[in-house]
Amino acid sequence: MQMNNLDSLPKKKILSLFMTCGFPTLNQSKKVFNEMLSHQPDIIEFGLPFSDPMADGPIIQEANKLALRSKLSTQQSLNLIKELSKSKNNTSFVIMCYLNTVRKFGLNKFIKNIKSIVDGIIIVDLPFEEEDEIKKLLSKNNIHLIKLISPMTDKKRSQKLLKNSKGFIYYISATGITGSNKLDYKEINKNVKSIKRMSSVPVLVGFGIKSKKDVIDISKKTNADGVIIGSALIQKYFDIKMDFNKYLKSLKKFIQEVKI
Amino acid sequence: MKKYKQPSTIGRFGEFGGMYVSETLMPLLLDLDKSYKKIQKDKKFKKELNDLFKNYVGRPSSLHYAKNLSKYINGPKIYFKRDELNHTGAHKINNCLGQILLAKKMGKTRIIAETGAGQHGVATATVCALFGLPCYIYMGSKDIERQKPNVFRMKLLGATIIPVESGSKSLKDAMNEALRDWIKNVRDTFYIIGSTAGPHPYPKMVRDFQSVIGKEAREQILKVEKKLPDYLIACVGGGSNAMGLFYPFLNDKNVKIIGVEAAGKGAKTEETAATMTSGTPGILHGSYSYVLQDNDGQIKEAHSISAGLDYPGVGPEHSYLKDIKRVKYFGITDKEALEAFQTCSKLEGIIPALEPSHALAYLIKAFKNKHKNKVVILNLCGRGDKDLFTAAKAIGFDADE
Repeated sequence: MQMNNLDSLPKKKILSLFMTCGFPTLNQSKKVFNEMLSHQPDIIEFGLPFSDPMADGPIIQEANKLALRSKLSTQQSLNLIKELSKSKNNTSFVIMCYLNTVRKFGLNKFIKNIKSIVDGIIIVDLPFEEEDEIKKLLSKNNIHLIKLISPMTDKKRSQKLLKNSKGFIYYISATGITGSNKLDYKEINKNVKSIKRMSSVPVLVGFGIKSKKDVIDISKKTNADGVIIGSALIQKYFDIKMDFNKYLKSLKKFIQEVKI
Repeated sequence: MKKYKQPSTIGRFGEFGGMYVSETLMPLLLDLDKSYKKIQKDKKFKKELNDLFKNYVGRPSSLHYAKNLSKYINGPKIYFKRDELNHTGAHKINNCLGQILLAKKMGKTRIIAETGAGQHGVATATVCALFGLPCYIYMGSKDIERQKPNVFRMKLLGATIIPVESGSKSLKDAMNEALRDWIKNVRDTFYIIGSTAGPHPYPKMVRDFQSVIGKEAREQILKVEKKLPDYLIACVGGGSNAMGLFYPFLNDKNVKIIGVEAAGKGAKTEETAATMTSGTPGILHGSYSYVLQDNDGQIKEAHSISAGLDYPGVGPEHSYLKDIKRVKYFGITDKEALEAFQTCSKLEGIIPALEPSHALAYLIKAFKNKHKNKVVILNLCGRGDKDLFTAAKAIGFDADE
């Protein structure tokens, strides 16, 4: 069986970058991902656009909307990921999506499309209680189902969730939707420590990480193994008033900054 | 027939329902489910709710024999279950009282809700005023425009209205935003969902609180007709008024049950809200049920003249009842509903909301000169005051003149 890049993540300072597929347009999206890939982050998370991304904040929601303007299909997103995988090297590819996208595409067909291309998948609205069938199929094809843990997840539930976890754990730092609220390092540290007692896979902190300072603080003030940055990458596009060439440049600068 | 016993402990109505939400909400829903189970056995809770039903809402709502409409249709004997006489003018208050009592028991201090027609928003704002809790209502900007009287009502009642500009700017998007608010404010906030939609335990909980409608109707009809009705008819958006009426009759296999959806400009057009006629099973707002979606599972925008039915999903229990063929669902267009809206006003002296006007339109259309000697109960779940401007515009009446 082909190896899974997620199984050889570095021990510390893991960087995962999230970006919505097809944003701002399909062609520009290729350039965005190529820019991201050129920095060789440890992980790239590919968001599949969904009309009703209820667990995402306004920024990613807007990115979804822009991507879907031109009726971007799931197949086009998967083709994009496949094309990019040629230059993937050691970077892990992870898909982040909502369950309706996978269901409607067809679970088997979906897996066939991403097999040996994608290392992991986060299905935001698939709770642990509903995951059995999907998890089995994914694991047969050496794709890890990434688990989310929130500050609301109590110890008993965490234990169940973390059993046999693979890839990494996505710890939702703020009780909030992506790209919102302030970071509470004490709480993050406490919860990350508790997760680490139950699982040996890396714990990445996501939601609300916006700057180099946030990345450094997470690394210094908490026990986390790395960070996930999403909304902040997309926000840059709106900051420069949607000038695409300027966006690529500001993206480059930002990624260089957060690679600590 | 096997006794009806849905949902399962994990909120499944057959294959429909479930809890498809992010891990930030999962612990909350499980906690809500636990608390809800607990209060179901709580006699004090029941007593408190029944007192409020009686003295605050004005229950039981009457069962009115619509003689003139019956004569006009020349078919069955038609009874209106008059939940439009409730305090706040619709059935929504039944559920809001139940949920706010639960919120109190759970120690929550902030209430949020979504609203389409504004009826659920008004009902939520009302119970928040009564219990002294801060209230935030998410409402699509399109709905704010077409339901102005209810917007003002909510403001008078002390609620803060948060306009939703995303997507189709109506009920679906208001629900997305309310869910986002809940994810952000998990610790102190209780989300009062107004329909039998959303993740478990909402579809069950809302049905249970609304089933007071059907329980009363059953007793009332047995008293006047000495038998159960032959037909039940109600409009279905998310489906709470319909589930409220239907649920206590599901085991009575001789009672035929009909749900009426909003077909907008026609169930086969793109401008429709007839989820079960034109939709396919999918996941929206945390629940697996029929939804209007494209081949990639992107949720389509719904269309209906009635803001309360303008929703691309439907409750999971309705999806199940459709599939097991216990309930039949039909679509009624904007135009047909508007006609029924006027017919009912003229014949019965009751101005119905545009939502039950859909049920009325189906009744007039399908029962005309048919089903004589039969008895029908129609859930008149809301009154039409809120729709006067919309209806006037659609009919071509200049309300300013």
